[in-house]
Amino acid sequence: MNESQHRTTGPERTERSVSITFDRATKIYPGSETPALDALSLTVEAGELLCLVGPSGGGKTTALMLINRLIDLTSGDIRIGETSITDIGAIELRRKTGYAIQQTGLFPHMTVAQNIAVVPRILGWSAARIDARTDELLELVGLTPTAQWRARYPGQLSGGQQQRVGIARALAADPPLMLMDEPFGALDPITRTAVQDEFLAIHRAVGKTTVFVTHDIDEAIKMGDKIAVLRPGGLLAQLGPPEDLLAEPADDFVASFLGAERGLKRLGLYRLGDLAGEQREPLPDWPRLPAGMTAREALSCATAERADGVIVADGETPERAVPVARLLQPEVSEGAA
Amino acid sequence: MSGIATPGDPEIPDYGDASRCVIDNGVFCTDWFVQQWPEVFQPALLEHVVMTVVAVAVGFAISFIAAVLAYRRAWLSSPFGAVATFLYTLPPLALFQLLVPVTGLTMVTVEIALVCFTLVILFRAVLAGLLGVPDDAKRAARGMGLDSGQILRMVELPLAIPSIISGLRVATVLTVSIATIAAFVVDAGLGSPILKAISSPFNTQFIGAGALAVLLAFVLDGLLALVGRALTTWTRAKV
Repeated sequence: MNESQHRTTGPERTERSVSITFDRATKIYPGSETPALDALSLTVEAGELLCLVGPSGGGKTTALMLINRLIDLTSGDIRIGETSITDIGAIELRRKTGYAIQQTGLFPHMTVAQNIAVVPRILGWSAARIDARTDELLELVGLTPTAQWRARYPGQLSGGQQQRVGIARALAADPPLMLMDEPFGALDPITRTAVQDEFLAIHRAVGKTTVFVTHDIDEAIKMGDKIAVLRPGGLLAQLGPPEDLLAEPADDFVASFLGAERGLKRLGLYRLGDLAGEQREPLPDWPRLPAGMTAREALSCATAERADGVIVADGETPERAVPVARLLQPEVSEGAA
Repeated sequence: MSGIATPGDPEIPDYGDASRCVIDNGVFCTDWFVQQWPEVFQPALLEHVVMTVVAVAVGFAISFIAAVLAYRRAWLSSPFGAVATFLYTLPPLALFQLLVPVTGLTMVTVEIALVCFTLVILFRAVLAGLLGVPDDAKRAARGMGLDSGQILRMVELPLAIPSIISGLRVATVLTVSIATIAAFVVDAGLGSPILKAISSPFNTQFIGAGALAVLLAFVLDGLLALVGRALTTWTRAKV
């Protein structure tokens, strides 16, 4: 994703972002006959956000925990950049890897600031540097004014706020790599959408390679630069950008996992502002919609109004008419723009 | 064991110039108690405090190490628990009988016995506290790159404090009480005036010593409760 707006605050920053390569990574748990993860091979490019999705038993959490060696590989290899994870000490590897999990794992006996400071303290940062970093992170995750949030205990925060602190803590030592295990799974839909949007904005700003585990295909479509669908038994069913998966699922399993509405979901990936419109005089009497809406939402509006199209009205560029036929083939319009 | 009166023994009331209360052997004669305080009750109280604190401290150190080991290696927890329970079931006087031939009529005998009685409570309290640490906190700590010592120090122990403190409180109150029996072995502690009052049934003597033991138990319990509060501010943080 974009690599331009990275911020630096300290002299000893780790490398910004690295690639992760799974090379026939296999995990068979002791006492189990079948693999939890079966010869997974894929590469997450530096700065990319990969969503691992699949039903339970698909091995997505296993794949994630293999990366920071919370569990050990049975066979195969995982490389961070060019280095095999087995050549990096588990502790060192984990300190260079941000880790956020569903129940946040915030330490209830530590304040927000103390939680964020755990890894920096172990790394021996000065108090002043930790302080500055804590403020910076709380601002990044939208917990301002920071002074008001620093002294609170996790038990005093809502689920969404805890999750924000969890993300801030994972980012604390500026790791080049982020691992997230269903981080938003326990949030209500509204909070969840808000935290997803925030995290995407943060991800675009800091450009860290991220592996994001979710069982929610819609979340994966929204968040992922690429999606890896795992099937029970830990086999990779399909890997690709969301639009490719939605347009051409590799098989019935992926198609059924994407759901019957996958055609509409695909339209959800395109923003109205990016579609070519027609400058007509006079403009038809269609619903006027902001450019930030998705093609899917626009189609829904057009259907609701029984109109043959919509008008893009963003207040800046001249208003354009987008007929329903265009909404249905957003990638074609994009090419023509 | 009371034997010949030593200089520290309570003075048998002299009916010549004693108060009315003493002559009538009243329930509690404040004047006599105050008069005997510097010679008898204050030293006995101090000895009792030392006996209790040493026993609980040593017992805690042993239990703590055992509990951490049992926490790390689950198979150890049954044998450790069984040993501690066995020691707890021994009647204190029988345990004294068992120890005296080895360690003699000494404070060591007393402390060994007292420590034995604290183990089961403290071991279980520390272990329960550690086992009660939420899994997600442990997993997050590991995932963040804390080593097992750091996880214990920074995450597991702080979260086990409420359970550890309640164990310490029970163990301390119990030890204050059992330590009165130590008078069968050594002439020390609040048990000493109580035991002597059995041979010379003077009410103020055992009621005074007994009341001091009860008071001591309450005070130590309260102090530990305060320490616990100070260490667990997070449990009372208001939403």
